[in-house]
Amino acid sequence: MDAGERVAVVGPSGAGKSTLLGLANAAVPPTGGTVELLGADPSALRGRTLRQLRSRVGTVHQQLELVGQLRVVHNVNAGRLGSWPASRAAWSLVRPQGLPAVLEALDRVQLADRVYERTDRLSGGQRQRVAVARLLVQRPELVLADEPASALDPALADRVLGLLAGLAADRGGALVASLHDPALALRHCTRVVGLVAGRVVLDAPTAALSVRDLADFYGAPR
Amino acid sequence: MTAVLDAPPVARPRLHRVRARWGWGLGAVAVVVWSLAGAGLFAGEVVNPAGRAQFGRFASAALSPALDAEFLRVLVTGALVTLAYAALGAALAVLLGALGAVAVARTTWGRRRLGWTLTRGALAVPRGLHEAVWGLLLVNVLGLDPWVGVLAIGLPYGAVTAKVFADLLDEVPRGGHDALLAAGAGRSSAVLYELLPPAAGGLLSYSFYRLECAVRSAVVLGLIGAGGLGYQLSLSFSSLRWEQVWSCVYALALLCLLADVTGRAVRRRLAAPRSSPTRLARDRVLTAAVLGSLALVAWSWWYLAVTPATLFAERTREQLGYVLGAAWPPDTDADLLASVASLAVDTVQMSVIAIAVATVGAVLVAGVAARPPGRMTPGRRLLGTVVRLGLLLLRAVPAPVWALVVLFVLLPGVLPGALALGVYSFGVLGRLAAEATEELDPRPRAALAALGAGPAAGWLYGVLPRATGPVLAFALYRWEVAIRDSVLVGVLGAGGLGALLATQLATFDWGAVATTLVALVLLTLAVDLVSARARQALR
Repeated sequence: MDAGERVAVVGPSGAGKSTLLGLANAAVPPTGGTVELLGADPSALRGRTLRQLRSRVGTVHQQLELVGQLRVVHNVNAGRLGSWPASRAAWSLVRPQGLPAVLEALDRVQLADRVYERTDRLSGGQRQRVAVARLLVQRPELVLADEPASALDPALADRVLGLLAGLAADRGGALVASLHDPALALRHCTRVVGLVAGRVVLDAPTAALSVRDLADFYGAPR
Repeated sequence: MTAVLDAPPVARPRLHRVRARWGWGLGAVAVVVWSLAGAGLFAGEVVNPAGRAQFGRFASAALSPALDAEFLRVLVTGALVTLAYAALGAALAVLLGALGAVAVARTTWGRRRLGWTLTRGALAVPRGLHEAVWGLLLVNVLGLDPWVGVLAIGLPYGAVTAKVFADLLDEVPRGGHDALLAAGAGRSSAVLYELLPPAAGGLLSYSFYRLECAVRSAVVLGLIGAGGLGYQLSLSFSSLRWEQVWSCVYALALLCLLADVTGRAVRRRLAAPRSSPTRLARDRVLTAAVLGSLALVAWSWWYLAVTPATLFAERTREQLGYVLGAAWPPDTDADLLASVASLAVDTVQMSVIAIAVATVGAVLVAGVAARPPGRMTPGRRLLGTVVRLGLLLLRAVPAPVWALVVLFVLLPGVLPGALALGVYSFGVLGRLAAEATEELDPRPRAALAALGAGPAAGWLYGVLPRATGPVLAFALYRWEVAIRDSVLVGVLGAGGLGALLATQLATFDWGAVATTLVALVLLTLAVDLVSARARQALR
């Protein structure tokens, strides 16, 4: 994968999409072969250097990464835990640090008015946007997104994917998103990778594909 | 930047703290500091210099417990007596609980709230007194009879069981029950078909839990003279035979541990019983557990040679009449009231320090004691096992035994009692906190690690905010238990209301005893109330 690429990973449930993303953010160790991530091998790194590498990779899960009991501002600030020392992280829970950047990020997902709300009081779509705001303050070079559009209405899904793509482009990095909606994949990505049972069965630039090809791939009714 | 959402400028909200929660938090800190000051931690002598040598001899005997055949036989007999008391006490509690549940369930009272409130309130009295206090009172009425131990466990446990049973019944959805009534079924058959089956698992599970607790209580009752392992322990203790004391400690820890493990296994099985859809078959393990418990009760009845005749004997009636007559009206002498008040303060401080110590300890070890998801390094696995084993030992030895040990090193007063209760509560709370941590969804913390957060930051953001609520709720609940137990460590010499009660009983000053008992019940009620309020604010 090259910088500037936007890859949609598609495939049926259990095909290995989440595992692929886990390999890419060094959460899942490879059972065979090696992973090269931003020019380094994560399995060879330990401690601080591994954490530095990880802080350059940002992941949006299906809202499952948020801590419901914390206020929105802390969940967004969690994006900076890779660069903050522990003392600053602790103090921030008492007096929120770096507030301007948090508010700017929340502004971009239209949630600035909820900055001090407890996260578990938000709706599913709002939480998804908090997760995106966390990435905005993390400013990673590689953006990974696991089903970022589930739980969102089509218009919002479109906006969120646009934000993620823009974020990746901002740092000259790349976006990898697992997607269920063929139309979204075609609109926002430059390349589509299809997985079935852990194997790559499709790898083509978006320009060579149509919505119908992808729908065939899913086996969904047309 | 390619995709900026054009949002209208919004008014920045202000950070506001939840006042109730801050109030409770600051209040709690203030109470802990006040308690520590009251316990004399910041001034005065607390360490007993003479006890240190004795403690050394005591500690060194830990590795050489008395294991001669004769003493082992004594221990086995003691264990059997303790078990028999526990079984009969628990059986009585379940029986009283089942009857009492009918009396306090909402189902019985319907909309008549006054009757419901009054019967519920009446239950608070037996519940507010510790088993040991019941034991000390009953021994004066019944003399040295096995009924003392059985009733001392059965009466307070029965009141708690009645409340829990009634709550379990009241929690069952009403639809089926009301439908049967509407279809013309009688009240009892409606209860039998629609209320009991959904609640049965919970009722049975709680009965087994009470049996587990009863083993611990029976040990404790032994310490104040009811016989069994605890009694043997106090005998060896007062004759300074440390090797025998340690054998007793190991034996009773083992007994409590066995009760804990089997009880938990049975209750886990009750939560997910095995059944076959095609045949009318029962879960074999559960059937064996129920039949085994019934057999145990029957054997205990025979082994302790309990006869109902004692309860209705002429002497019992006379003695009861005399004690009640002497105890009414309670003594309201100004000196007595003043000392009761000051000792009540001591008791509260004792329980507060105990829970503060236990909570801090539990939070510190919870992360290590919990089994993390995924792979562990061998060192981490070993550390976790050692910590879990340590917690197990701390809670296998009842709090009063800890009190006896602590009293070697510290002068009698609030602090030794607080430490004894604290050590025991730490064992319980440490496990609860570890379990609360294990039950947390691991994904938020994994996500923090994936974006490069260090272990400390990951714990602060991913674990602490989510575990605080449950751990504090457990701590408050244990505080209610600790205030009851503080009486007992007091009876053994650690100070507080318990020590006062012990002297009053020794001098048969029944009017004063009644005053102290009223103070005890009011104190436990007040603590229950504060704890319930605080837990509500946490939610």
